[in-house]
This record gives sequence, structure tokens and C-alpha cells, in this order.
Amino acid sequence: MNVFSSLIQKQAVDEIQKCNDFTARFGLTLSYQNAIELVEMRTLSLKRYGRVEFGGGVINKIIKEFCDSPYISMNNYVETLLELIEIFYFYKNETLDLISDDELIKFMKNSFDGKCQGSLELLSGRELDKMARNLRYGYAPDYSEDNEYEEEDEDDQY
Amino acid sequence: MTNIEKRYIIDSNKLSGEFYFNSILQEAYACGLLDESDLENIQLQCISLLAYKSERYNMGESSSIRVEVAESIMKSISYTIGLYLKSLQDPDHAAAELKSEKISELYERGKKLIYDRFREAKHIYEMIQRNKIKTPNHSYNSTLSVNGIGLFFKSYNIEYEAHDIPASIDYQLCNPVNDLVGIEYIQKYLENLYLENEFCNNFTSDNIYYLLYGYDKGYQDLLINIFEQILTAALGCSLANCNIRELNISKEDIQYLYEKLLKYDKHTLMLDIHKAAENIFEEFNITNYSLKKYIEKSLPKIVTNIEIALELNTLNKVFITPKNPDLEPKIQFKSGVKMDDEEYRRLIEELLRCRYTSDKLELIKEKVKSFDDLEDILIDAQLEEEEFISLFNILGDVEIAAMIKRHPFGSDFQDVNISEAERVLQLYLESYVKQLHSNRREYIFQIVEQLCEVDI
Repeated sequence: MNVFSSLIQKQAVDEIQKCNDFTARFGLTLSYQNAIELVEMRTLSLKRYGRVEFGGGVINKIIKEFCDSPYISMNNYVETLLELIEIFYFYKNETLDLISDDELIKFMKNSFDGKCQGSLELLSGRELDKMARNLRYGYAPDYSEDNEYEEEDEDDQY
Repeated sequence: MTNIEKRYIIDSNKLSGEFYFNSILQEAYACGLLDESDLENIQLQCISLLAYKSERYNMGESSSIRVEVAESIMKSISYTIGLYLKSLQDPDHAAAELKSEKISELYERGKKLIYDRFREAKHIYEMIQRNKIKTPNHSYNSTLSVNGIGLFFKSYNIEYEAHDIPASIDYQLCNPVNDLVGIEYIQKYLENLYLENEFCNNFTSDNIYYLLYGYDKGYQDLLINIFEQILTAALGCSLANCNIRELNISKEDIQYLYEKLLKYDKHTLMLDIHKAAENIFEEFNITNYSLKKYIEKSLPKIVTNIEIALELNTLNKVFITPKNPDLEPKIQFKSGVKMDDEEYRRLIEELLRCRYTSDKLELIKEKVKSFDDLEDILIDAQLEEEEFISLFNILGDVEIAAMIKRHPFGSDFQDVNISEAERVLQLYLESYVKQLHSNRREYIFQIVEQLCEVDI
């Protein structure tokens, strides 16, 4: 099993490094060490949130989606990616797998660039939390209560 | 003469029915039929099959899956492969197939088998709907309903949860199905139940009803096996030379059996019971081999029950004397005509104004002529405990019994719908009955059993 999993990990690291060709135009690149960190983070998150992954690909998708964000530069690139990976797997559980990988990543990117203005705390603590609650209660992901009182109440909360 | 059996390298007794695939891997490895590289190869194939199934489960939209779901899919895969391996002629062949065939191929063959088994099980279920016995027993009826086993045929998930039994099964079989899960469990359960019904259908539903009523008046709500009761009764009748068809065994017959069976050792008892079973086969002309086998399989359990009963002198709890509820003595109780509403209101007002208990009692004795009115007054007149006691003292045993019947106490579950006043009445009635002499109390409870109220 160990041989098997380390092979998979090596493959994942290679794939992540290949993304550099795509992200270089935004001034973002990852070293071999960074790629290993990301893969380790994925393994840790999967374990922490009780999930298993067979194919790879989620890290690549996150990288390709987020690389053009105005809030990401080389200074915070790796840290942001590490957090995004953890947030991603946490909300896969919280949304009861009702949302696909691509949709979740897209929602994260839109909120990160939009309402959260680059704040990962707001992204995970407010926007994704709201979205996960909506999905669990059978509403659309971007549903929000029209009632003003409710909105005030929520503003108070944060 | 002992049977000559071919010997296999893998001992089939060591294999688990539920986790067949895993246990055959272990045994085959232990016996040297599979080596480490074979096991590793099988594991890798299983993981890629799991990856493939997980992707299908997510419909390609998610690359990760919760651990519990992955475990369930893996169990389903192992179960499906195990089912196919079980269908092969012997475990050695199964090990050879594991070595030579692809895991995904074995899985597909197993899936085909499950589809076949599913159709067979459905067919048996339909047959059971036709041969089921008429009984008010709740667990029997609900298990056979569309919301019981019927649910299985709607919710069984062959692709991802083949090892699961999504059905509500409360009815206990005489020979429970052990060591099987998924479709195998359901099929075996239904086969056993069909045989049980086949046997029970030799008796009229009236006779079954009387027997079970004799076993317990509330048998509708009990988790009992009907077949076992009937078979035991039939065996008792056969041993005591009574009419097997009517299951009619009297208390004297049971006493006779007790004296007869007490002299036997276990072996003789077993022989005698087998002889009695043969008699039953003859009486009902039972030739079905599976049914005969099933009945014979049930005998050791019944013999054990008889042995224990002989030791404890409780044979009458094993061999049940049927009881016809229509022939039981009944006490009819009429409440009498209720007084006019206006008059009743005046009486209540007067009672509430009364200061002394003796006055209240006199008033009630004078004005109240029907049991319904008395009950209403006990609830409405806000009497004290000693006034309740004094009133109860005036009543006869039948009236007290009727009061208990209307306000039953002693149940663990409090009825939420009753008012506070009714609860008080229940409480005082209970404490009054408790302080009565035990003989009188027993007599009153006997009346409660036999009491039936008649409308005026």
C-alpha cells in the first residue's frame, strides 16, 4: 500500500509542477518543495475530514482557477493555496457532497475575489458557511434571505 | 455408513458466510494456494475497482469521497465477488479463479448472480403473499407487508450497497438466518418463512388463533414465532395421542406427558420427538423434502425447551392448551341511565358547597343512580382522598373492577390525553386497590379480565 500511495503522491507532485507553465504568466510559480507541501496538505485534510481520493486533480484545479486572482501574489501564493485546499475538503463534507468539485471551486473563487475581497477568513467563515447551509436546507447555493430583519441579524453576528 | 467426501485444501468450515471473499483470501494464503504477490495483485485490482466505482458513485463530479461511503462500496464489492466465489463448486476452485481471473470480471459475474437471486427472492416473496396465514400478529403482518420486506425490493442497491438489507424485518423465524447478509439473507429468510407457512397452513386459522390465544391473550403484539408454537403443540398432541389437526391438548394430557417424559433421558426423548414428527408427516401427508428437513432442524430447539420445562415442572408453558375466547365466562356490566345535565350541575354545585364528608356521601348515595354519573362526580366534585376512599368503600367488587377497567393504572406509559382530575382519580384508585386484602384484590382483577360493558 505504501509503495502504491507514494507513487500516487509523486505523480501528483509532478502534475502540480506542470501547472507552473500555466501560472507563470501571472507571476506565480511553485517549487518542488512547495508542491510536496501542497500534496501533504491534501493528504492531511483528507485524513482530517474523513475522506478518500482516488484520482488527483483537485489541487491543479484550484491552482488554475485561483491564479488570476488580484488578491494572490508570490508573497502569499503557497499559504493561500494551502488554506484553500483545507477549506475545499472541509466544505465537501459540510455540503454533504451535494456540490461538484468544479462548482465548489468556482464558488470559492467568485466569493474570494468578490464579497470577501481576498479574505480567506470571510470565505470560510461566512460565504461558504452560508452556501453550505443553503444546500443542506435545499436552497440554491447563492440564496439569501430577502427579509431585512434577518440580514440585520446576520450582520450583527459578524 | 459414513459418507465419503472429497477432501479440499481449503477447509470450507473455516470460511465465513458473511465475509466470504476476505476469508477465502486468508485461507488460500494460509494454505499456500495464493502467495504474497497474488494478494498484492488482488488488492491493487480491488483498489482500482473501488476507484472506478467511487467515480461512478460521484458521477464524475467529485474526485474525493467520504470514508464511510468508500467503505460501504468496498464491502459491496467484496460481497458481490464473494457471492460468485461461493457459487463455484468448491473453495479450491474459487482460489484458482482468484489467481487466474481479473477481479473486475469476478465482480461482474457476481453482479449477474445477484440480479438472478433478486428475481428469485421476489418470486418467493410473491408466493408467500399467497400462502401466508391469517393472524392478527403484528410483527408477522408488518414484516410481510410492503413496508416490511417489500421495502427491500424497492430500495436494494446492487451497485453500491449489495451487502445491505434495507428492509424492516421484526418477525423471528424458528431457525434464524445467521452468517448471511444482503440478498442471500433475504432469500434464505423468505425460503424459511415460506416453509413455515406451508406447515402452518395444515391447520385452520381458528385453531391457530385458539392456540396462540391460549399462549397469551396479547399475542398480537408479541414477537413470537407462530410456526414454533404450532409445531410444538402438534408434537405434544402426537405424543399424547390427541387430535393433531385441532391442536387440542388438555391440562390432563399435559400432566400425563409430564409423567411420561420425565422418565426419559435426552436420547430417548429425542427419538420420541422424531417419532412424533414422523406421525405429523403422515397425518398431513407431508412429502416436501425441504419442509421435512426444516421441521427436523427445528426439533432440537423444541427438545431443549421440553427438557428445561421438565426440570422446572412448567410443561404447560411449552405445550399450550388452546383457549377459545368466546367460551370464556363473561360478566356483563350495565352502567344505568345518566341523570339530566341540569340536575347533575345542581348536584355538583351542592357537593362543592358541602363542608362535611358524611354529607357529601349521603348526597351522592341519595342522588346518584348510575355508574357513569358516579364516575363523573369522582372527576368533577374535587373530593379529598378520604372522601374517595369512603366512596370506594361503598362500592362492590364489580363496580371497583369497572372503575379499574375504565381508568387502568400500573402502565409505565402515562396517557398524555387524560386530564389532571382523571389522573388524581387513577392515583387514588390505585392506592385504594393496593391496600385491599390480596384475595379480594386478585378477585377484583379477575373480574376486570372478564368484564365487558354493555350499552344500554
